[in-house]
Amino acid sequence: MTADDAPFVACCPACTERTTAADPNEVVAFYRRHHAVTGHDVSWERTPPLAADVPADPDVDAVVAALGDPDVALGAVSAAASEWGWTVGETLDAVHDRRLTGALWEPRDDHVAVV
Amino acid sequence: MTRWNDGVEELHAVSPDITDETNALPARYFTDPDVWEMEKEKVFSRYWVYAGHENCIPDAGDYFTRTVGDKQVIVARDEDGDVRAFYNVCAHRGSKMVADTPMTDPGNMDRIQCPYHLWTYDLDGDLRSTPRSFEEAGLNPDLDDADVSGLDPDENGLLEVRTDSIGPLVFLNFADDPPLSLAEQAGKLKTRLESLPLEEYQHARRYVSEVACNWKTFGGNYSECDHCQANHQDWITGIQLDESELEVNDYHWVLHYTHEADVEDELRIHDEHEAQFHYFWPNFTVNMYGTADGYGTYIIDPIDEGRFQLIADYYFADPELTEAEEEFVRTSRQLQEEDFELVERQYEGLQSGALGQGQLGPNEHTLHRFHRLAQEAYNA
Repeated sequence: MTADDAPFVACCPACTERTTAADPNEVVAFYRRHHAVTGHDVSWERTPPLAADVPADPDVDAVVAALGDPDVALGAVSAAASEWGWTVGETLDAVHDRRLTGALWEPRDDHVAVV
Repeated sequence: MTRWNDGVEELHAVSPDITDETNALPARYFTDPDVWEMEKEKVFSRYWVYAGHENCIPDAGDYFTRTVGDKQVIVARDEDGDVRAFYNVCAHRGSKMVADTPMTDPGNMDRIQCPYHLWTYDLDGDLRSTPRSFEEAGLNPDLDDADVSGLDPDENGLLEVRTDSIGPLVFLNFADDPPLSLAEQAGKLKTRLESLPLEEYQHARRYVSEVACNWKTFGGNYSECDHCQANHQDWITGIQLDESELEVNDYHWVLHYTHEADVEDELRIHDEHEAQFHYFWPNFTVNMYGTADGYGTYIIDPIDEGRFQLIADYYFADPELTEAEEEFVRTSRQLQEEDFELVERQYEGLQSGALGQGQLGPNEHTLHRFHRLAQEAYNA
């Protein structure tokens, strides 16, 4: 898969390392590996059209509710949150915070749903 | 003769004689997920592997983490100034203790504390303290506090990972009884590197790239230069490939690239009028440039059988690079990108399953050593 035909493309702005993926959670895995050895965050360059509307103001719970059927891949949440200019790391942190308030849960690995 | 997977020719172990037809590692060792699982133990848990550069953790309590296969390690400088490594695993119930922390952005801690139940360790790994709930039995009606014997700090410390160094370069070995010391595995590499002022250079850049091929595919590409004339035309400008030499030692090989024109001595860390690219089994390189006063290292870090991270670090006297040094790094990155295309293309071919066992040319003797070491490790 190349950057031309991949539905998901993400990049490290600090060192321009780029990844392409068919599954948005592959980008999350890439972020974790890259962050572990560089400390860098990763930004989305391309995501496919969203299957649901994303609120204009940042609201992770609303995105999970809109995309969850019944749950949604973390990578898909992050791709949607890129509409607000969020990086992958920022989205994962926000989802983590919401999980620890009990608003979101993780019914299966790296997929979240609204409680 | 090349051995295709056509049911006609048998595959063989890597022949010690490079002139034999079966002088290369069979292709499945590059593509089979079971081989990667085997390599975690037989390669990466048996031989010395590079952890990082100790200049990045100059003070007591400075640390970074490193993952090798499935093993996660904290590399820290202790109160005596020694660099030590511990599994990033609490002695209580096995929790991972500290978050992933890159060498390039190290952390600092007075003590190592597990966030789960707050077991706390000194920087030498000894258990320093536990919460009162581990010293008293207040919640257990079957025990009195007097029945609780307490935890011996020495007996309940962290599991240390064996470390050794070549200059500022820190290596790990996970084996209970390593078959080789670092000095034995490194051989001449240790002598050569220790004669150079590596510790006077500072970390300046790190580039981490994910590449879609087996780690040995890239390692093999690094180890020969028969592909350079056709594929690295910018880089080979000024290099006399026909005057260059590929030197093979037991676990280490060197590509000596002779420069055509005189290059000022100030533009090299070493004395020889050449670039020296050192490959150290299994997955580490030290790159001594002929035209820049600095050096680089590569960790060819497997993700799985079909992907690896190239962790490329650059060291210069001053981490604020001059324009010429920036240009040098850019050229080096170009070389990497050219190689990534080559090895990903090669790996696509290997994954097709058509090739059973390739064959090496007479000037791929460094690569032959690499394949033999892999075979030797698998057979051990």
